[in-house]
Order: sequence, then C-alpha cells, then structure tokens
Amino acid sequence: MSPGLRRYIIVRTLLTIPMVLILVSLVFIVLRVMPGDPALAIMREGASEEQLAAFRAALGMDRPLHIQYFDFISGVLRFDFGESMVRPIPVTQEIKTFFPATVELAIFSMMVTTGVGIFSGAYAAKNRKRGSDYAIRVLSIILYSLPIFWLGLMLQMTIGAGLGWLPVSGRLSPGMTPDRVITGLYTIDAILTLNLDLLVDALKHLILPSITLGLVLAGFFTRLTRATMLDVLEQDFITAGRARGLHERVLVYKHGLRNAFIPIVTLLGLQFALLLAGAILTETTFSWPGMGRLVVDRIYDRDFTTVQGTILFFALLVAGVSLIVDILYGFLDPRIRY
Amino acid sequence: MSINEILYNIQDLSVEFHTRVGILGAVDHASLDIRRGEVLGLVGESGCGKSTLGKALMRMIEEPGKITSGKLLFDNIDILALDDSRMRELRGSRISMVFQDPMTSLNPVQRVVDHITEAIQVHQSYVTDKEARARAANLVDRLGISHDRLDDYPHHLSGGMRQRVMIGLALALRADLVIADEATTSLDVIVEAQFLDLLRELRNEFDLTILLITHNMGIVAELADRVAVMYAGRLVELAEVNQLFSNPKHPYTEGLLRAVPNIQLDEGELYKMAGSPPDLVRPPSGCRFHPRCPKVMEICSQVDPIFKSIAPNRMVNCWLYQEVPDEKLWVGGSTQ
Amino acid sequence: MAMTNTELAQNGSINQMIEDVGLLRRIWRGRLWYGTEWYITVFGGLILVTVTIVTLLAPILSPYDPNDFAGSQFIPPGGGPQVLLTRSGESNRVTESYLNEQLVGVQRNKNGTNIAIELELDYLRYQTQSEQIEALQNQEVDSILVDERDLDAIIADFPQLEIAADGIGPSFTLGTDNLGRDILSRLIWGARTVLGVAILSALLSSVVGISLGLISGFVSGPFDRVASLTMDSIYSFPGLLLAIAMAAMLGPGLLNVAIAISVIYIPTFFRVVRGQVLSIKEELHVEAARSLGAKPFSILFRYIFPLVIPSVVVVFSLNVADAILTEAGLSFIGLGLPPDVPDWGYDLSKGHSFLVAGHWWMITFPGVLITIVAMGFSLLGEGLSEILNPRLVKS
Repeated sequence: MSPGLRRYIIVRTLLTIPMVLILVSLVFIVLRVMPGDPALAIMREGASEEQLAAFRAALGMDRPLHIQYFDFISGVLRFDFGESMVRPIPVTQEIKTFFPATVELAIFSMMVTTGVGIFSGAYAAKNRKRGSDYAIRVLSIILYSLPIFWLGLMLQMTIGAGLGWLPVSGRLSPGMTPDRVITGLYTIDAILTLNLDLLVDALKHLILPSITLGLVLAGFFTRLTRATMLDVLEQDFITAGRARGLHERVLVYKHGLRNAFIPIVTLLGLQFALLLAGAILTETTFSWPGMGRLVVDRIYDRDFTTVQGTILFFALLVAGVSLIVDILYGFLDPRIRY
Repeated sequence: MSINEILYNIQDLSVEFHTRVGILGAVDHASLDIRRGEVLGLVGESGCGKSTLGKALMRMIEEPGKITSGKLLFDNIDILALDDSRMRELRGSRISMVFQDPMTSLNPVQRVVDHITEAIQVHQSYVTDKEARARAANLVDRLGISHDRLDDYPHHLSGGMRQRVMIGLALALRADLVIADEATTSLDVIVEAQFLDLLRELRNEFDLTILLITHNMGIVAELADRVAVMYAGRLVELAEVNQLFSNPKHPYTEGLLRAVPNIQLDEGELYKMAGSPPDLVRPPSGCRFHPRCPKVMEICSQVDPIFKSIAPNRMVNCWLYQEVPDEKLWVGGSTQ
Repeated sequence: MAMTNTELAQNGSINQMIEDVGLLRRIWRGRLWYGTEWYITVFGGLILVTVTIVTLLAPILSPYDPNDFAGSQFIPPGGGPQVLLTRSGESNRVTESYLNEQLVGVQRNKNGTNIAIELELDYLRYQTQSEQIEALQNQEVDSILVDERDLDAIIADFPQLEIAADGIGPSFTLGTDNLGRDILSRLIWGARTVLGVAILSALLSSVVGISLGLISGFVSGPFDRVASLTMDSIYSFPGLLLAIAMAAMLGPGLLNVAIAISVIYIPTFFRVVRGQVLSIKEELHVEAARSLGAKPFSILFRYIFPLVIPSVVVVFSLNVADAILTEAGLSFIGLGLPPDVPDWGYDLSKGHSFLVAGHWWMITFPGVLITIVAMGFSLLGEGLSEILNPRLVKS
C-alpha cells in the first residue's frame, strides 16, 4: 500500500466520525426529543402513571436532555446499547443473533440484483432507443414500483403455497438446526460442517426472499447501470475502439462495463440504505429472523432499548459501509492519485 | 505502384442526420479520390462536415446519422455493401483512424500494452500473447516511447505520448489508409511539431496514405500533397497544396487563407470572413457560400454550381469558373 | 461535427415557436419533439389523472362503505349475491327479526383491530361453510349467509333448509375480505388515503428541503457544510427504518404518518436544490442582478428560485412514488394509519394472514394498485425530467 493510499484511508476514516455523530444524534432526536412520549408510545394508553415513571427511570429519561445525550453518545462509543427489556441479555447479544440472517439475505439478494441489473442495464445501453431498451426500462420502472412485500406475498402465494415448491417462511425447516453456529450464515456454516442437508434446506429457504428483494433492487440497479453505461459508451475511447475493428460486444461488455464498474460500485454503496430498508420489509414478509424483523417485533413487545440499539447499530453500519466503499474505490480506480 | 493509383474512391457521398428539428445534411454529394501514398488534407471550419466525411469512410456514422447516397470504393471493395463483420475486419487493419483528443481516446482502465495487443489479436487471432506483446514493444520503441511504459495506464502518459500510442494503434496492423481527424488539435505547439515530424517519418517508412482532417492550414501546408476544402457539407475546392496556397480559386478558400495569421507578412489586422457558417438543416439556396461571398453574383443564390475540373488536379465548385447558363433556364428556381 | 440535438433545441426560433402555442397544444406537440419520452410521461400522467378522478368520486363510485360488513367473508371476485338460509318453516320469523338489522357497525377493540358486532351472524364469520350449516341444523343459529352459486349444491345435500331471503347484497366485483368488507370499495377509498398521505408527506419534505437547500446553496460557509453533512447522513440511512421509528414514537394518525415519511425525502429535495443553486448562482443574470444592487433575499427568490422549480417538480413526482411505497410498507408492518382508515397496505397485511388459505383476491388487487400508482408517478417524473431538464436524469 502506497503512503498516499494510507493517508487517504486515514483521512476518510476521520471523516466518518462526524457522520456517525450526526446519525446518532438523529436517532436521539427521533427517539427522545421529538414530540411523542416514548414511554407512552411504548407502554401504550392504559398504562398507569407509576408504570410510565418506572419506564422513564429505567431509561434515564427523567434526567435533563443534555445529560441523556452524553450518556447516549458514550454508550454508543462503548458499543453498549443497554439491556433488552424482553429478555435479560444485552442488546448487542440480540444483534449478534439476528444480524447474520440479514447479512445472508443481503448477500444472496445482491447476487440476484447484480446479476440481473448489470446484464439488463448494459444490454439496454447497448441497444439504446431500440425496442429492447424501452422494454427493459419499462420493466425496471415496474420492478421498483413494486412494493417489496407484495412481490414477496405473490411469490409466497404462487410458488410457495400454491405450487408447494419452496418454503415460504423462516430460515430453516422445523427440526433443522445447524450443528454448530460458526458464522451465523447457515449456508456457510453448512459448508464448514459438511452438512449437505442443512445447506440444501438453507438454500431453499433463501430463494424466495432473495429473489423478492433482489428483483426490486434490480429495477434500480438496471437503471443505474444503463445510465452509467450510456455515459461511458459516449466516450471517445469507445469510438476509437470501434475504429480499431473491435466487436460491439467487446466494446460494451469489456471496455464499457469495466469503466462503468467504478461509478456503479460507488453509487451502489450510497444506496446501501435501500438494501437495508428492503430487507426490513422482506424479513417481515418471510418471517426471516433478521434485524428488520427484530425491530418490528420489538416495537410490539415494547422493548425500547432493543429498538433503540438496533437503529443505532444500523447507523454505525451505514457509516461503516460508506467508509468501506470509498476505500474500495481508492483501490479500484487506477486513475486516483493521492 | 504509381502515385496516381486510386486507393479510396468516394462518389456522390451524402450523410444526413435525422434530428428533432429536421434533416441535417452534414455531407452533401461529395466526390473525391484518395490516391495511394499521398497525404490528402481535408480542411474547413468546424461543423462543415469534414469529420463526418472521415467517419463515413469507415462507415462509422452513428445514429441518428445515415449515409443516404453515394458509393464508397476502398481498394475496389464496396464499403457500403460489406456486412458488419467484414467491415469490422477492415477497420483497424486496413483503414485506421487517429482521433482528436488523446486524453479521452484511450480506455482509462486498460494498460497501454493491452490496447495494442488487443488491436493486433482482434485481427490476427493466431498471434500469441507473447508475440503480440513483443510487437507492441517494438512499435512503441519506434514511436519514441520507452517500452517500460507499456504497463502504464493512459493517465500516466503525457498528451503527446498518448497521441503517439494512438498512432501506434493505427499502425499496429500496417493499415493502408490512416484518417487523422484533428489529430494534433489538442497538442501544444512543440509537441505538435514533434508529432508532425513523426508522422512524416512514418509515412515514408510505412508507405502510408493519410487523410489529414484539420482546420489548421499550417499543418496542411507542412504535410499535405493535395488539399480538399469543404464548406457547409460540400467540397468547394481541390488542388495540389502549392497551387492552393499560391493561387486559391474559390472565394471561400481565399478567405480561409487570408484568415491565417502570418508572422512574416505582418499585414496588420487579420482578415475576418463576414457572416457565420449556415444552418445545415435549412442551408442557403444555390451555392451555400453565397451569403458570405464577397464575389457573389445573381446566379449564385439560384443554382448550385458543379464541382468541376478547371485544370489538371484542380477542381472548383464556383460559378466564377464555369459557364453561367442562360438566364431563362434558371430564373425562378434551381436546375437541380 | 454535426450539431447535436440539444444545440438544435436551443435554437431560439424554435423555442419561440413553441412558446407561441397554448399549453395543451404544447403538450400535444411535444409528442413529435420528445418521441418515446413523451409517451412515457403522458402515460404516467393519464394513470394519475384516472386515480385522482377515482379518489374525488369515491362516494359515488364505491358500491359500499369501505368499513361496512357488506357480505359474508371471503367472497371471491364476482361472487355474491348472498342467500339467507334457514331451517324449513322458519323463514318468516328470521326475515322479520334479523334481516333489516343485520349490520350494526364497527367497533374497535383495545388492540385496535376491527371486530364485527352483528346480531346472530357474528361468530359465524370465522367458521367454514359446513360448520355453519351444522350450527344451523343444531339450532345454534337461526340463519346463515351462503353464496348464491353454492345454493343448489347445499339444498341438494340439506333439503331441510329453505331460503329466507335471496339477492342479499349485489355481487362483489373484487370479492370481500376476511370481515366481509367489499374489496372494491376499500380500494377506491384507500386511494384517497394513499394519495393523501404520499402527497402530504412530499409537500412537507419539499417545503423543508427546498428552503434549506436554497439557503444552504446560497450562503455557503459553515451552515452549508453542516446542513450538507446532515442531509447526506440522513440520505445514507435506511429511510424506512427512520419512518418506522418516528411512526412508532408519534403513534398512528394520518398526519403523523405523513410527517414520519416526509423526513426521508427532505435530503433529496435539499441535494437537488442546493446543487442547482450553486450553479445558477454563478450564472450571468444573477451576477448582473447582484451588480445592480439587488438584495440577497430578492436575488434568491426572484432570480434563483424560479430556475429551480423544474427540477423540484421532477423530484417531487419521484418522491411521491416512493412515499406511496413507504406508506404501504409502514401499514404493512402495522405502524401506519388507524384501522378504520381504508388503506391498501393495511389490506395487504390482513391478506397476508389468509394467504395460505388461497384467498388470492385479498392480496392481489391492493398490490396491483400500489404498483400502478407508484409507477404513474415514476413515469411522470422520469418523463418530465427528460422534458424539463435533460441534464438532471440521464435518459
């Protein structure tokens, strides 16, 4: 690693700090400062005044706001989100249990998204203003106009419940458990423990949720790829390549795509939020025990600390991913000189 | 091989762009011969259609443009009748092109050497990677680039070096015809001079035919054997370079030459041609230059002149040099 | 080089030509100018005009009140009318005592779900047809509602039953849900809710986003840096999660949901407006106004703001499309509107529970409508971006 690159990484990492601070403050404002009493929201109408007071005291909400704020920040810095109000375990422990499911879903969805999106986007760009281009564009608009959970419901109804080909909920069939939880990603655990049945079962459960989330995001990704590719294909080096007798296919899929790749990765990193938001809805639809499911369930269980901790965790995650994407960008683009 | 052998025969070429506001005739019935071994300059203001003509020679007109008439015979091959794959084979191997901006004409994420080996292997798939690399190294050596730069990315090279690479790419397969489209415009003066020297050397060494598309009369004077002048999509004059400079016939050529700054003569103020280039969607009637022409006559706005030979190796498209037909024949409309 | 389309588009005489004709003719002429983009825009616009008309005419168009238990549960599309069956010889009594008073109304229990309060038919809602017939024969109930199409089969099997009243409720075009509410009526009224919430939230976020963007781009300096960083942070955060947290804190309610959703879209308005202001600020006519001594405030509103409007319109349209999806997502999770407000997302979440039973009509139609309306706004936004400002979004 060149000293320039190292400096770039350090500077970029330092720049993440204000972002984290802003996001954490934002969460604080939403959960503690905004109108709407969390005690009342969580305990619901009908709770006695004592119950509400006890709730507030348990969370330190009876103290002045600025003290709460610094407490809040210091908790985040120590990666201490408090204890779950449903079970006597730290929130971080809960997150550790639920997070791998989301990661696994995200990975498989991204495979669907990139596979469908890159190909169709590049193909549309290659055939700009022809029938196939318009067809792909309309299709991608339809795809990202689909409510994710509804696409999930339709797949569940047809392929899942109707034809009975694939399971419609959960990560594993009843009775199936991983021999040993190593990574928490069941597919990988199954490979590590050489458990073929588990692998097949986990994959079967993954198919519908990943297609659901992947397809909706593919609508977005297709447009992104197409727009980026159009920019690239307009550039002189493509014309120059054509003048050297290169095949259109080579120009588009080799030269074009390689140049489009970097902006696509960057923009995709920015849209990481889209993936997480989609995951929340997909998890709800498919009873997928991930982070989204955790938040939604705990809102009903009135587990304020876990809800708060999970949202904070998302904030850190978002900041972390944007940092990683930027660093990756530094490695990918040969033009970057530090 | 005689100098008079015709390498590229362009007959009655028209290129039109179908735009939202109408049909834009970028090249209008142009006929021209490119002889083997010569450097033919093609000059004109920007927007006159010279680049479009160059691209048409490689059949690289992009949407919404279209070649609407004419015949293109390259070495007796009918270019317009070739299927796409045969056309691709021709591009780069027999006809090459060097573009204006070397900064953007190379793939920024591809190494220099890969550009060259790719170009070689696309046309000669039997060449091994190692062989292709060796040929690439020879080539850049010849172009005055040290071959340890082969593994560099384009952004590591200076503008002049990149343009040398572009030339190298054009010569990698010993193309018969190199179309240099404003190839020196973006280079600074000293680099440009070096580049022109290189081009001259290469021309002798490889026995190249070059179509030199430029708006710079100085470059034409330095390198070209013959010059074709283009105005508003039409060829207006064709002459040997000395004759053109010493005795321009077409009023537009005259204006063009007077507009070139000349240090030695120091004529005081630079000549500036009146008016501006016409809208090619609605070009002027008759001779397209007539609204700006200092020697305009009545017929000029009515009837198109013909691109006609007035002397050996000399063609002009102007009523000054051809017999004006009887007024009865043209009053009230064009004969064409 | 040939002139490009944009160069031609800037040709003064042509612009003048277009300025001279009326708005409608201008739209119609656009078809030649913009080609396919134009058809996309107009198609999106037509979808929205249709939906808007439907929402305005909801009281006329919807056959039932969206919260009424208008028929028996799970009537498939096109199903009904219903027949009231009773034991032989008891039809007069049943007709007199129950039929006219059959539907009493809606009440909400403390968990916020609808419960049907009906006279005798109440608990039958959750039983299968054979269970209902059995209950009737066992004298547990005096009457049951059955689908007219099933009538012949039932009478053949149970000749001791007779018809107390038929033709109860006309047919249900799109069927009924788990509480026997007419799905078509719910969809029609639901359009009001969805459009209302989505447009309200986009309005809220545009007001905040545009003003912040204008100021931030105009004044620059530390305010701009802080505002930009904040907006970028919000933008990078999963919007739905933010909306979930806010909706949970604020509690159910139309305005609360709109506020929760609006926070997500403030950054998109902010970013676009700020970017535009930064470039417009440097343009000649603004410089000229400044050198003539115009006050900063009047420069901002008289010279800069009007130029931002086209992009804002585009962003607005695209954001409404997204807000529709977010609203549906919130209701699907169960954090949206109060249960007596007809809402597509809520209907979907109800349908989710009965999916395995094969009641496909409950989840199909609301989803199709959400998609179509969201698509209408997307198409409109996309097309407009191409037409109003070719540089904003790549075609």
